[in-house]
Amino acid sequence: MGQTLVYGVLNGALYGIIALGIALVFGVMRYLNLAQGSLIILGAYGILFLFHLGVDPFASMPLIAFLLFLLGGALFWASFSRLIALSEAGRIKNSLLISFGLMLLIDNLATLLWTGDERSITPAYSGLTFGIAGLRFPLIGCVGVLSALVIIVALHLFLARTYFGKSIMAVSQDHEAASLMGVNVNLTCLVSFAISVGLASIPSALIGLKSFSPTVGIQWFNKGVIVVMLSGIGNINGVFPAGLFLGIMEAISVYFFGAPYREVTGLVVFVLVMVLFPKGLFKRQEL
Amino acid sequence: MMLRVEHVDVRYGDLQVLWDVDLEVRQGEIVALVGSNGAGKSTLIRTIAGLVKPSGGTIHYGDALLNDKPPHTIAASGISMVPEGRRLFPKMTVLQNLEMGAFLRKARPQKETTLDWVYEIFPILRKRSHQPAGLLSGGEQQMLAIGRALMGRNDFLLLDELSLGLSPLLVKQIFDVLVTINKAGITLFIVEQNVPMTLKIANRAYILETGRIVGEGVARELMESEHVKAAYLGMA
Amino acid sequence: MMRRRAWITFCLAALCFGFLPALIRSEYFLNLFLMFFLYVTVAQSWNLLGGFTGQISLGHSAFFGTGALITRLIWTAGVPIVPALIAGSLSSVVLALLVGVPCLRMRSAYFPIGTLALAMIAQITVANLFPLPGSLSRGYLTGYSMLSRYYLALLVAMLTVAVVYWIVRSRTGLALVGIRDDEAAAEAMGVRTFKHKVFALMVSSWLVGLGGGIFAYHQVSYYYSAPFELSWSFLPTLTTFIGGLGTIAGPILGAACFLGLSEIFAISLGEVHLVVFAFTFILVVLFVPGGLMSISTKIRSLTARIARRATRV
Ligand SMILES: Nc1ncnc2c1ncn2[C@@H]1O[C@H](COP(=O)(O)OP(=O)(O)OP(=O)(O)O)[C@@H](O)[C@H]1O
Ligand SMILES: [Mg+2]
Repeated sequence: MGQTLVYGVLNGALYGIIALGIALVFGVMRYLNLAQGSLIILGAYGILFLFHLGVDPFASMPLIAFLLFLLGGALFWASFSRLIALSEAGRIKNSLLISFGLMLLIDNLATLLWTGDERSITPAYSGLTFGIAGLRFPLIGCVGVLSALVIIVALHLFLARTYFGKSIMAVSQDHEAASLMGVNVNLTCLVSFAISVGLASIPSALIGLKSFSPTVGIQWFNKGVIVVMLSGIGNINGVFPAGLFLGIMEAISVYFFGAPYREVTGLVVFVLVMVLFPKGLFKRQEL
Repeated sequence: MMLRVEHVDVRYGDLQVLWDVDLEVRQGEIVALVGSNGAGKSTLIRTIAGLVKPSGGTIHYGDALLNDKPPHTIAASGISMVPEGRRLFPKMTVLQNLEMGAFLRKARPQKETTLDWVYEIFPILRKRSHQPAGLLSGGEQQMLAIGRALMGRNDFLLLDELSLGLSPLLVKQIFDVLVTINKAGITLFIVEQNVPMTLKIANRAYILETGRIVGEGVARELMESEHVKAAYLGMA
Repeated sequence: MMRRRAWITFCLAALCFGFLPALIRSEYFLNLFLMFFLYVTVAQSWNLLGGFTGQISLGHSAFFGTGALITRLIWTAGVPIVPALIAGSLSSVVLALLVGVPCLRMRSAYFPIGTLALAMIAQITVANLFPLPGSLSRGYLTGYSMLSRYYLALLVAMLTVAVVYWIVRSRTGLALVGIRDDEAAAEAMGVRTFKHKVFALMVSSWLVGLGGGIFAYHQVSYYYSAPFELSWSFLPTLTTFIGGLGTIAGPILGAACFLGLSEIFAISLGEVHLVVFAFTFILVVLFVPGGLMSISTKIRSLTARIARRATRV
C-alpha cells in the first residue's frame, strides 16, 4: 500500500504539470486545448530524436521547450487568435473543435513520420531507484515531482511579479478592461498560449522516459483536464494538489480493482463531478 | 483641439446605432454627453476608446487618427476610460487594480507618486488597499475605477455613467472629485443620465437621441433650453 | 416543392443503390458501399445532435460500440439478426439515457469533453471485460452472404436519413435548431430545451446503435473494443463538419469524401487521408462554417448570377 501511494504521488505530480498548460490557456482565454496531449507527445519525439544524437533528455528539454513555445505561438497566430472576439461559450466550443482537428493532425502526422510503434527514451539512469524507509523511489519520478514544484512556483512568481504576468492575470479577469489599461490583449493571449505549449516539454521528457506512441496524447490530455476541473478552472495554484489527489486516487483504485481500471478511475470522478456540480466546479475561480 | 469626432457611423452587424456624429473636445474642458437609455452614448464612448470600430467617419486625437487603432494603443496615446459598470479586476486587490492602472510605460516610473495622489483623492481606497476589488461597495468600486484610470497618467478621461446606482450624496462627492481632477489639468468627457448635476459642472454639452446629435451648446445655456428642460430635467 | 424534390432524390437513391449489386458483382465495391452506408448512418445520426441541436458529442463511439456489442452477442447466441439489431440499438438508447443525459446537464460548452470521457470509459472497460477478439463460428461463416449485409446496411442508412429529415422538418426540428442557435432565447420562447436535447440524444444514439449493429453483422472477426475506438466518435464529427453541419446532404457528402480519400491513399500510405481531413476540418471550422455544402450553394448562386448577367447582355 505504501509503495502504491508513492507511485500515486509521483504520477500525480506529472498530472499536475500536464494540467498547468491546460489551466493557463483556459484561465486566460477560455480555450480548451484538446491537442495539449498530442503536443506533449510531439515533444517526446523531439527529445527521442535528440537522444539518438547523444543528447541527454533533460539537457534537450530547454530546446524542446523553446521549439514548442514557437510552435504554440505560430498555432495561435494562425488559428486560435481568430476566436478571441467570440463569447465565452463560443471560445470554449470553437477552441475545442480546432484543437480537436489539431490533435488528429499531429497524431496522424506522427504516425506517418515515426510509425505507430511504442517508443521510449532509455538513458542509463532510466531504471534507477533508491530506497527510503523500506519504500522504493524511482529516480525519474522524483525528478518529475521536483520539476513540477519548481515550474509551478516559477509560473506563480511570473504571474504575480512581472508586468507581463500581471497583464495575463488582468486579461483573464476582464480582457476589455485590460485593453483599456494599455494591455495588448492579442499579444498577451499569444504569449500565454505559447507558454502553455512550451510547458508541455516537461511532461514530454517525463512521459518520453516511460513510453509513448502517436495516439496516447488524448489520454494524457484527459488526465490534465480532470486535474484542471478538480482544482477549479483557472486556479493555477490548485493544480499541483489536485494532480496529487488524482494520482493517489488512481493508486488506491489500482490497489482495490487492479491495474486495468486505473484509467477509468479518473474519468469516473470526472464525469461524476461534472454531473453533480454542473456549474460548481467549473465556476470561475482565481486567475 | 484635443478630440475631434467627425461624421462617425457605428453599427453592430446590421444594426446601425450611431449616425453621422460630430463633436469636439478642447483641452482642459469638461464636456458632457447626455441622452436617454439606448441612445448610443456608451457606444460612442467605446468607439473613441477603440473597443468598437466605427463603420464611417474619423476620430482624431491631437493629430493622430484613432479609427483603426486598437484600444491599448489609444490608451498609450493619452486617453483613459472609466467604463460603464466599472469593470474592475474582481479578484485583484484594490492595490493590484491600481497597479494595473499604471501599466502604461510612461505611467510606471511615477507609479508611487500617482498612487499617493489617488489615495489623497479617495482616502477610503488606502484603507481598503488589500481587499479584493470584487468585495468593495458600489461607491468604493466606482472610486477605484476612477482611481485606476487616473493611474495611467493620461490627459484625457472618458467617463461612462459614474452615477449609476450611487446615492445622491456619493454622486455629489464624486462630481466634486471630477472638478478637482479637471483643475489638475485633465480633460473630461462625461456620459451621464444625471443631467442636472452634469450640466452644472460641464463647460459644454451634446445631446444624443437615437444615435444622432440633436443639440449642443454651453452647458449653462442648455439648462435653460425648453427641450432639455422637458426631456431631461423633468420640468414641463 | 422542396419536399417533393427530397422524395424523388430519396427514391432515386434507393433504386440506384438497390439495383447496384445486380450491376457490380465485385466484393470490393460492395464492401466499399457498405462502409459508405455505415459512415452515412453514423454521421447523419451524429448530425441530428451535433449539427441540428448544437450539442457536439465526442462520445458516439460508446453508443456505436454498445450497439455493436449487444447485437453481436445476441446474434451469435442464435437470435436472427433483425431482432438482435433492434435489441442492440435499444441498448444504445439505454446507455444514452443512463450516462449521456447527465452529460446534457453540463454547460453545453463542456458537453464534448464529458462525452469524450464517457467514450474512453466505455472503451477501456470493454477492452478489459472482453480481451479476446470475437470470431464468427463455422456455422455463421458458411451462411455468410455479402448481399444481406449490403441491403441491411442500405436500409439502416436510408432509415437514418429519413428519420433525421423527418424530425428536422417537424416542429421538434424547429425547436432543436432554436436550441442550437440560442439556447436561452429558445428557453424564453417556451421551448423545453432539456427535454428536446434528451430527445435528440435518444434518437441519435438509437440510429448510431443500428450502425453499430451493422458493423457487428458485417465483420467476421474483431476485438470487441474495436467499435468502441475513439475514431468512431471522431469520424462523424470530421465528416459532418466538412460536408456541412446541420444539413441533410452534408454528412452524406462528407462520408463520401472521407471514404473516397481513404481509398485513394490506402494504396500508397496509411494515414494521409486523416491528415488531409484533420487539416480540412480546421480550415472549415475557421473559415467555412457551412462546410462543402455552403461552398456548393455559393458556387450555385454565383453561376446563377453570372448566367443572369449573361442573359441580360
Ligand atoms: N454589443 C452590442 N451588440 C448589438 N447591439 C448593441 C450592442 N451594444 C449596444 N447595442 C445596442 O445599441 C444601442 C445603443 O446602446 P448603448 O449602450 O450605446 O446605449 P446607451 O446610450 O449607453 O444606453 P444606457 O443609457 O442605457 O447606457 C442599443 O439599442 C443597444 O441595444
Ligand atoms: Mg450606456
